Amino acid sequence: MNLAVDSLIGLGLVALAWQAISGRSLFRGIVMFVVFGLTMALAWARMGAPDLALAEAAIGAGVTGALMLVALRRLVQLHPDQPAEPKRARSRLALPIALLAASLVAVIGLGAVSVDREPGRAGVAVMDNLAETGLSNPITGVLLVFRNLDTLLEVAVLLAAFLAALAVFRDQEQAPAPPRGDLPLVGALLAIIVPLTILVSVHLLLAGSHEPGGAFQAGAVLAAGGVLLILAGRLQPASGMPLATALPLVLGLLVFSVIGLAMMLTGAPLLALPGLWAVYLIEAAMMISIALTLVLLFAGASGLRRERP
Amino acid sequence: MTEAALAGLVFLPLLGACLLLLVPRQWRTALVLLVVVPLPVLLLPITAVVWQQQAVQMAVAGHALPLGIVWRVDALSLLLLWLNAFLLVFVGLQALTRFPPATPAGLRFWPLWLLLAAGIHALLLSADLFNLYVTLELVTLAGIGLIATSNRPAALQAAMRYLLLALMASLLYLLGVGLIYAEIGTLDLYEAGNLLEPGLLPATAMVLMITGLLVKAAIFPLHAWLPAAHGNAPGPVSALLSAIVVKVSIYIVWRLWFWTAEGWPMPALELFLGLLGAGAILYGSALALVQKRLKMVIAYSTVAQLGYLMLIFPLASLLAWQAAGFHLVSHGLAKAALFVAAGNILASLGTDRLRRLAGLDQRLPLDVFTLALASVSLMGLPPSGGFIGKWLFLQAAWEQGAWGWMALIALGGLLAAAYLFRILALTCFHPRSHGHSSRLREPPSRASLAGLLLALAAIGLGFASAPILTMLASAWPGVIAP
Repeated sequence: MNLAVDSLIGLGLVALAWQAISGRSLFRGIVMFVVFGLTMALAWARMGAPDLALAEAAIGAGVTGALMLVALRRLVQLHPDQPAEPKRARSRLALPIALLAASLVAVIGLGAVSVDREPGRAGVAVMDNLAETGLSNPITGVLLVFRNLDTLLEVAVLLAAFLAALAVFRDQEQAPAPPRGDLPLVGALLAIIVPLTILVSVHLLLAGSHEPGGAFQAGAVLAAGGVLLILAGRLQPASGMPLATALPLVLGLLVFSVIGLAMMLTGAPLLALPGLWAVYLIEAAMMISIALTLVLLFAGASGLRRERP
Repeated sequence: MTEAALAGLVFLPLLGACLLLLVPRQWRTALVLLVVVPLPVLLLPITAVVWQQQAVQMAVAGHALPLGIVWRVDALSLLLLWLNAFLLVFVGLQALTRFPPATPAGLRFWPLWLLLAAGIHALLLSADLFNLYVTLELVTLAGIGLIATSNRPAALQAAMRYLLLALMASLLYLLGVGLIYAEIGTLDLYEAGNLLEPGLLPATAMVLMITGLLVKAAIFPLHAWLPAAHGNAPGPVSALLSAIVVKVSIYIVWRLWFWTAEGWPMPALELFLGLLGAGAILYGSALALVQKRLKMVIAYSTVAQLGYLMLIFPLASLLAWQAAGFHLVSHGLAKAALFVAAGNILASLGTDRLRRLAGLDQRLPLDVFTLALASVSLMGLPPSGGFIGKWLFLQAAWEQGAWGWMALIALGGLLAAAYLFRILALTCFHPRSHGHSSRLREPPSRASLAGLLLALAAIGLGFASAPILTMLASAWPGVIAP
């Protein structure tokens, strides 16, 4: 039974990946990509990696899909007369690349069969040292305590990616405001869903210390709420970056760095966090930064302004 | 003290980038200076320790291996840190005139610039395979953002192409890291060197990682993205990208090859990598000869000069090691000088088409002088730094009786002389009719000075070779020459 489910997911992934890149229209490709992301999340869950499954569903399928769709809308706005179906350019490189990739998969598959199933040395060390941190989710232990430099630099990568995107879309004319949310149900729906996304994201954040969850997943869910507000016209893209936008944008990096450096003053090693409260504080700050970055990327702007319905 | 200095190298620019977005605009210039100027000072205590003990090691967050991440600085990483500090200060001098921090353009530019600096520093410090991946991402994305700060469509297109290829390369590298972790359960580069035995899976991992890195380092024939990206980026960005950003990927390849995969029998692969270098030297030089724009000549010259860094694999001796390390630094300085001067010329003429440069030596004497000085080092004339690098390469090839490589190195120098003299001849060519009455905006003297100082450093490196070579020798992992 398990084997049947697993092979169904595996075959489905291959089929969906093929559909995503060979789809007749870009829109179809994006939809397939989102479905692929959700199936991938299922696969992660089957493999016993619920943290990855959450991240894949929230970021891989959710936020990435939304960003691709908004990019597609921009494309259509810029070139309304261009056919939505991309020309199928056949590359002579396609076959060699496919063969190379197939042999790579074969080698890795063979290797994976031959590798002993024992957890890696670093993984064992994480389990041995987890109790000292006060956390019970090893993933959060690795991300925030043992290898927190990686996480800190990842947040810097996100900032760099956002600033790079900002450099590109500065000259773009602002997308025209989406239709105002004057449908009678929109206000009521937002009043339910937006607080719910906040609640879920805070739950994910707090749950991260002992079960799957954490700042990245929480940030993605929070960003979904922001995206909803943009789609409903309650938040509008604005130019310029006021302090009220810039501060939360860099808050995660700032709080993380300052706490990590401050520990050096007390004689502790760099980035050795003083306790569980620091983990929560950093995660909360990172969640805000991640969510705002994603929302701004979706809006395609450096700032947001509120629009009263 | 050393630990604080190491932390400062990464966190000073990182915090600076954050604060730039927050502080009022009139403080931004001061903030940039406050971040960039102390960087060379931070290197002093680290240099002192490396000089005495050959390496500095520090467990980030205090977790021992294999649990945590370790920073490790030896002479090679130190040399690159010094190069980067130099570039940040002097190229930064030009960038300050080109992108004044108080303007909106400056606000787009400087946070990315500082993030790039933090990324390069974190990369050079790190001894952890996965951490290296994260830092590579930071370096790549910040670099791409900086290319995109130029508002020309060609630059945006080049940035996009660079982005796609670099992301694919990152994935290849990451896949390799995953395979290595599955095999030995540690991510530390040096520990992996002790634990990893040659085999199908480790070899696949190595091939994947090195392929990815060679894409990022634009080694022939994976260089296709580089000329457009470096040739169309704003002047100071081209300088930093060509002088250090592509080199750090090669640096990781060296680390993987000579430390993690130390002692693996791979003679065919050594030769193959060397041949890639040969292809880079010949192809890059040939294309540099036929370019129509100054910055494209310099960009193709980067493709060619990067090829020398691959010769270390087939030669694999202490001399070749010193040669490659020295060439890396001297090329970095000379190339930065060339791009800074070219950026000034482009900004003042509005074009860098070679046929429009005639008579430029009279109108922009300082920038043309910089071009000439940097060219001297790049084509390897004594007593410049470039000469020492190429001379050591020749010596290393001579020592092993590798006549083919000797001929290649000599030919590469000749070709470099050809394409660089072509530029100099064109700029100093005076047609009888003085038809160049086109407007000319004098570049800010600080920008010209920045290029000149870099070029002088590239020449002066030739006089300061002894301590650098001694230190480099201390970092040689000691692979016996075949």
